[in-house]
Amino acid sequence: MERVLEVDSIVTRFGPQTIHDGVSFGVARGEVVALIGGSGTGKSVLLKEIIGLLRPASGSIRLLGTEVWRSSPGELNALRRRFGMLFQDGALFSSLTVAENIAVPFRENTDLPMDIIAPLAGFKLALVGLPPEAGKKTPAQLSGGMRKRAALARALALEPEVLFLDEPTSGLDPVGAREFDRLLRLLADSLGLTVFLVTHDLDTLLSIIDRAIVLSAGKVIADGPVAAVMKADDPWIRDYFSARAVLAPAPA
Amino acid sequence: MMKSHGCSWLLSFPRDAGDEVLEHGIEDGTSVLYLSGVWRLSNLGAIVDALRSLKLDAGRTFVLDGSRLEALDTAAGFTLFRHLAGLGCSESMVSGRGFDQRHSRLLRLVHERMKCPPAAARSIHLGLVQRVGAAAINLWRLLVSHNAFVGAVALDALDLAPRPRRFRLRETVSQFESAGLDAVPIVALVTFLIGVVFAYLLGQQALRYGANIFVVDGVGLAICRELSPLLAAVIVAGRSGAAFTAQIGTMKVQEEIDAISTLGLSPIQVLVIPRLVALTLALPLLVFVGDAAGIAGGMLVAAWQLDIAPATFLERLHDVLPLRALVVGLVKAPVFAVFIALIACRMGMLVARDARSVGVNTTSTVVQSIVWVIVLDAAFAVAFQRLGI
Repeated sequence: MERVLEVDSIVTRFGPQTIHDGVSFGVARGEVVALIGGSGTGKSVLLKEIIGLLRPASGSIRLLGTEVWRSSPGELNALRRRFGMLFQDGALFSSLTVAENIAVPFRENTDLPMDIIAPLAGFKLALVGLPPEAGKKTPAQLSGGMRKRAALARALALEPEVLFLDEPTSGLDPVGAREFDRLLRLLADSLGLTVFLVTHDLDTLLSIIDRAIVLSAGKVIADGPVAAVMKADDPWIRDYFSARAVLAPAPA
Repeated sequence: MMKSHGCSWLLSFPRDAGDEVLEHGIEDGTSVLYLSGVWRLSNLGAIVDALRSLKLDAGRTFVLDGSRLEALDTAAGFTLFRHLAGLGCSESMVSGRGFDQRHSRLLRLVHERMKCPPAAARSIHLGLVQRVGAAAINLWRLLVSHNAFVGAVALDALDLAPRPRRFRLRETVSQFESAGLDAVPIVALVTFLIGVVFAYLLGQQALRYGANIFVVDGVGLAICRELSPLLAAVIVAGRSGAAFTAQIGTMKVQEEIDAISTLGLSPIQVLVIPRLVALTLALPLLVFVGDAAGIAGGMLVAAWQLDIAPATFLERLHDVLPLRALVVGLVKAPVFAVFIALIACRMGMLVARDARSVGVNTTSTVVQSIVWVIVLDAAFAVAFQRLGI
């Protein structure tokens, strides 16, 4: 199975503090993988390092065949068109409407005319389950859940092979969170997307995740299917999964 | 369509099967559309061209054959279905064959999501009269809300009078330091230079009539009555006005103002009144500094170009400069300060939750403050003239 992401011995330091001390893992094509860990273990930092926003102190990251931190700016930009990123609060451009936000990747990276881009952007809206009227609104006029979906639509604009998400269900009500999880799984299954997400959400973990990677004290302490990770013999992992009284997986 | 990905001009050249994305054939009386090669966003231009040059009988059933398809994504799938729908083909007339499982799943998702067509943009054109009317109503509402703000500040200030302990002295002193003391060097520099320029200009004229000494009168009067107050106000508007708007605006975006209200405090008492008081005390100080610096500048030029020794300059100044001129300048200053502070705080409170808003409002504060300062200055000039001051 082809590996789309290979993270090898990442070390990250902020001043005297070492956040990551030799983090390594891989993600195969088509997998839905979650990165979990306590607060302050540097999950979001690791995500930013993978997508080329923050430089690790040492180690290598190979995404879709490109060495992220050893490539030229041109190669990195070419790589950026092959994956999509969903930031924690959407990070939509606040002065544009939703439809304009989704159109941005098309306008910047292709020379398709607006009469082709506009219906495509409308389709991306429908793909993530937003009503057509949402396209005319500005991000400030949307609820949190709709903002995340709009940001997902923008992340999917250029038909990426990999999708990265930073705590996609944070701030969503349980029903909204479950719907978002289902949407992610549907897209992954139908489009062959590889999904890598950072999450705190136990419901997500138990319903749509193939494999979980657990980060603790700067290292990966578990890496495998969720059912196996749940039984791991580590106090933090046991504490994490016992935070719920009943651990029945959510109905698919 | 102007640009495509290079295929429409290739029509005149012989094509081998590898170049075609779409072929139309007939098999046993059924129309078959062969999708081949790469059906992706990168190739969308060629796909759209091929679809547009397709001639299909809208009434017949036909089959989509995906056996020659190498790659497929949602953009291409959507474009295909949209085109077919646009030609009038309904679901019942189209069937698929030969697609591998992944492509099949993808097309099913695309088709399912396409059930809600994107809404066409309905643009409403307003006539000139309507737009003027709407603008007038919006302006009226804006003025009413500005007025309400000024009223609220007045009420909160009166509320403080019997309870002086609630007055935020530390915050006020801190604002005084940044709005007043930190501005002293720049105000001194600017007014000094203006003093130099003005004295030089006057001096050139005075030299012609051998009336050098009258430069002292001119410089003293102009600096103290007009130039120093105006320049100090403009500098304060740019420095402190912009800063207040940016600070309060960013706090608004981060919901800190809501937090202040929730704690049972008045945002006006916490944020606006300290800044208002600080500026009202700071600006007269800065005007005074400006007076001194401006006259010093004039003195320098007088010594240099006009043979008036500093001692002579000061003696003449002492004789001819009425206290009135100084007082007029110092009386204007608090009025300017109140306007600048109120405009700056008000624009800060009006900041909206998008990225441009803080910048736009800050710029607006500076422009509005400067305009108001000059309008007030003109009003003062007329008023003093009427009063014979």
